[in-house]
Amino acid sequence: MFYGYTGTILRVNLTNGKISKEALDKKMAEDFVGGRGLASRLLCEEIDPQIEALSPENPLIFGTGPLTGTGAPATARYVVVCKAPLTGTIACSNSGGFFGPEIKFAGYDALIIEGESPEPVYLWIKDERVEIRPARVLWGKFPSETESSLQKLTHPSAKIACIGPGGEKLSLMSGIVNDNYRIAARSGVGALMGKKKLKAIAVRGTGGINLADTEEFWKASMDMHAKITGDPVSFGSFRAYGTTSLVNLINEMGAYPTRNFKSDTFEGAANTSGEAIAEEILERNRACFACPISCTRVTEVKKGPYKGRGEGPEYESTWALGALCGVSNLEAVAKANYLCGDYGIDTISTGATIACAMELFESGALTEKEIGFPLNFGDEAAMVRAVEMIGEREGFGDILADGSYRLAERYGHPELFMGAKKLEMSAYSPRVFQGMALQYATSNRGACHVRGNTVAAELYGVPRYMPPEVLEQKEEMVRRPFQNSTAFVDSSGICLFTKFAITHREICALLTPATGIDFNFDRSIVQGDRIWNLERMFNLRAGFTAADDKLPARVSEPSPDGPRAGSRAILQNHLQTYYQLRGWDTEGRPTPSKLEELGLEDWWNVCREHD
Amino acid sequence: MFVESMINITVKLSIDLRCYRPSLKINESMSIAVPDDTTLLELLTNILQIPAHAVAIPIVNGEKCKLEQSLKKDDQVAFWPPMGGG
Repeated sequence: MFYGYTGTILRVNLTNGKISKEALDKKMAEDFVGGRGLASRLLCEEIDPQIEALSPENPLIFGTGPLTGTGAPATARYVVVCKAPLTGTIACSNSGGFFGPEIKFAGYDALIIEGESPEPVYLWIKDERVEIRPARVLWGKFPSETESSLQKLTHPSAKIACIGPGGEKLSLMSGIVNDNYRIAARSGVGALMGKKKLKAIAVRGTGGINLADTEEFWKASMDMHAKITGDPVSFGSFRAYGTTSLVNLINEMGAYPTRNFKSDTFEGAANTSGEAIAEEILERNRACFACPISCTRVTEVKKGPYKGRGEGPEYESTWALGALCGVSNLEAVAKANYLCGDYGIDTISTGATIACAMELFESGALTEKEIGFPLNFGDEAAMVRAVEMIGEREGFGDILADGSYRLAERYGHPELFMGAKKLEMSAYSPRVFQGMALQYATSNRGACHVRGNTVAAELYGVPRYMPPEVLEQKEEMVRRPFQNSTAFVDSSGICLFTKFAITHREICALLTPATGIDFNFDRSIVQGDRIWNLERMFNLRAGFTAADDKLPARVSEPSPDGPRAGSRAILQNHLQTYYQLRGWDTEGRPTPSKLEELGLEDWWNVCREHD
Repeated sequence: MFVESMINITVKLSIDLRCYRPSLKINESMSIAVPDDTTLLELLTNILQIPAHAVAIPIVNGEKCKLEQSLKKDDQVAFWPPMGGG
């Protein structure tokens, strides 16, 4: 009998149509928690990390956490894990909304989708009944049309995750969209779904989730609810302005990367800030399943060339499609964001790729003839046009659709790719936030802010304030309270955005009565460490080495202007300290004793193959 | 007669703190003359009349500071409520 977990994994083979159900391994659940950890562990059992990402051998794993769908605050999350089409690293994209809980209500902890269908199909999961159905009529449709069509074809309350035209056309920047606007965006997981010709998954679950100790669970849940609603961040600026409340603040600090990271201060930031969104396009808030924070913005541009409606733009999207491209027109940024949602493509990678193309164009490496029009920094109409072309793989968009790493390489300027391990960096300058510099370089899915958002410590003071420019002890900070901790939180099924109000202790106080398994603070630290090391081992086996733990040369040069002029990312001396703290050798490989400590010793052979 | 020397600074109020000066545009600075050696806390509570507990992140010239810090000529001050996210 399982509590918190459903105890069942659904396996669907799209090549031969076989559908089967497997029991969850309880020891594996205890060791890897759920969500990101469990799905990553399952992936490691399914494949050799050296396979081609866009191949039938690469499964698409949808994972939920033991807390997903329980009704405790912010328990909406699900993850998508596979070998990443964009980067070749392990991928774990994460999304909220209502789709994740519905998987649990249907009776599954995870879905493993393997093989490849010859024709477009969708998966219809109605509790224990599972069908692969033709999806020819859905192919080419945007997520909103796909969702309404599928709810007619299946059940009016079915929850839908699907790809847009971007995923269908195998854009390496495409994600998986659920509940119309939420997206498991990064690493190109949508391209793998497109390769499998799987347009959508529709789920209707009518079951509940068994809890080991209902009374204790709801007591812990109410305690967490009180902490979140009493927290001035979670229930203050975050609820009122969403993630974009940060735009003006990060820019005020001179840490807001601008024009493909040429500078760290954007003169047009105020026009695209959370305050501007609230005044000009905000319709209302929206919450994911069981979330008291409701940080999502429902917005509308009512008229003009950028007319549209949707959710967001969020902080990262506002930045990538705004400052990074030198664009300060909020309506254009909102429109580009809506288009990314329609096509099902990652706003960060899309904005960053257009910014990279803008720099290539201005430097003469790319011509107007190749693109079809001039693509200068600050040209909002050209930026919006480029997003459409990426979504459709139309004209030059066909080249842009594979991300900025491949673009910069193709045009002979690999130094203009602003990321690590082929994934583009996010909206916190690593020249200013030294913790983010180390985090971007070492993150298992490539440069990314949500594998360890050290800005919490380096600016807001959570868990304790460490000034952004300080180097001492940053390695330990990146490792434990950020990277390892995030791995644990992502595995529990709770949203990372609760972390301003709560710690692992509150999450464990929910996990134990939910599952009947003893979760506690000390174990959670080991679980996070175990998950991080497993992901690292996957990447080593996939061919990554310590040489890939690096940042673009540009961010190691002094910031040219703004309040932090002269600051630069300092990485080199920190990597060895970081490796040492992690229990890795000088080549960044977990040592046998580290793997033994974490119960990952089987992986030592994998590590040794790289000697 | 003792004449207190005055310095000019600029101040920005963001997010919820904008309610204390609703006429200011988004991210607009206001210029204020304050006595030399005024601390950020005195600026907040005595001059701007904003309760100190409403401010979590005081930024001066791009750097997060303590409220005990004294102001210098031409300082660019920005006050923020508790913040998070991303």
